[in-house]
Amino acid sequence: MNAAIDNHWYPVAMITGIDAPRETLLLGKKITLGREDGTCWVLDASGAELPTVERFGHLWTSPGQPNRDLFTIPEADNPGRRLVDVGSVKVKCSPLRAVENFLDIAHFPFVHTDILGAEPHTEVDRYDVKIREEVDEVWATKVKFYQPQAAKSAAGGITTEYMYRVPAPTCSVLYKTCPPRPGEWDIITLFVQPLTDEWCEVWPWMALYDDDSTMSEMVSFQQLIFMQDRSILENQIPRKLPLDPGMEVPTQADMTSVAYRRWLKKIGYTYGAQLVAA
Amino acid sequence: MDWVAVALTEDVPPGVVIPSRIEDTDLAIWCTPSGRYHAWSDRCPHRGMRLSHGFVRGETLACIYHGWQYNETGSCDYIPAHPKLTPPDTICVPTYTCAEEGGVIWVSLTDTDRPLPALGGRTPVRSLPVNMSAADLAAHFGATTFTTIAVVSDVDVLLAVQPCTGGTCMVHALAAAEADRSSVSHWLENLRATLEGVPA
Repeated sequence: MNAAIDNHWYPVAMITGIDAPRETLLLGKKITLGREDGTCWVLDASGAELPTVERFGHLWTSPGQPNRDLFTIPEADNPGRRLVDVGSVKVKCSPLRAVENFLDIAHFPFVHTDILGAEPHTEVDRYDVKIREEVDEVWATKVKFYQPQAAKSAAGGITTEYMYRVPAPTCSVLYKTCPPRPGEWDIITLFVQPLTDEWCEVWPWMALYDDDSTMSEMVSFQQLIFMQDRSILENQIPRKLPLDPGMEVPTQADMTSVAYRRWLKKIGYTYGAQLVAA
Repeated sequence: MDWVAVALTEDVPPGVVIPSRIEDTDLAIWCTPSGRYHAWSDRCPHRGMRLSHGFVRGETLACIYHGWQYNETGSCDYIPAHPKLTPPDTICVPTYTCAEEGGVIWVSLTDTDRPLPALGGRTPVRSLPVNMSAADLAAHFGATTFTTIAVVSDVDVLLAVQPCTGGTCMVHALAAAEADRSSVSHWLENLRATLEGVPA
């Protein structure tokens, strides 16, 4: 039992995907989940009921006693947005590596070539990063990057603006320029379920302004992106995320990742982390 | 440490990078467009990505994750996210002693004065993974070292044995240029079946 790890909310299923009861892993321990009369439930390995929240199309639970409500994304409720359950991808890496990759833009030209980035547009300008103490979240703002195909809805290359938010250790919310409505933000999230400290299930979810694409086109676009990320995430050494400086070398473009690692260390979130340089 | 065969040159043409290993040390083996071979630690110091998934551009090896380019000494030359920055000398990949001889790429994990193995003019036939440790395989032939093992029976073969993880090894077989390649290949498969105790 480690309160710094257990007292968080974790995504464990897409609500529309729950039919018969099924088992999964959370923080290395078996849990069972299901739905009865429209209400979801989760049991731990001993059969004890765990708390649940149904939000953002997903079922959330906690093995501990969360001292605060699951975070909210008020902008996602704006009328006209389409809510997209992307599904899930299991990845053989630390849940923290998956989140850190989501916070990274410098890899776009090399991993998501001709979609989220393309050479020679590789430069990452300085942006703002801070740990917002009052809400205990990591935020990166004024992140700008040239993207050939920023979203399914984009008609051509644009310089996209990003804001990243880390409201929980294994979750991130991205606010990103909406191609058909440049004054608005599209919302793309990454909800990560830590199956173990070196294996995770990633549940992306989106709230987009896109009146033209079909649901399956938007899902396919995001799944392609994530399959490209998986080819990286399963080949990083070590699988766990090093929190101590020295084992990996950041640059200015990695300010979000540096703040994320620092914040994890500050709140004592060590699950999936490597603390001593091997 | 002695030389270890880590790949055949025909499997690493100019402009190509492949993964290899010596016991638990993961290696990225690559060949520059002008034909020089290098054996490096298979890990980019930036975010730990395997460099064997990277790409050769000019005379550099680039990481597939963020495109960081490393020159032939292993030093980082270029960081695409910061094109105007000269990367500090401290950003570098550990490199190992590497040489090509007789169509085989040889690596020593430590500095060595030893000459490269004498191959007697033999050339590579093929590589084959064997589920047996390099030491046990050498012992099978009464050899005390596995760098190269000469076998003279119904065929004349030189085996260069590469120790891998989990008590397995890769056997690179070399034979005289005039030898019948398919019979050498067949002999090697039979050898593996015998060593692993399974029917050929």
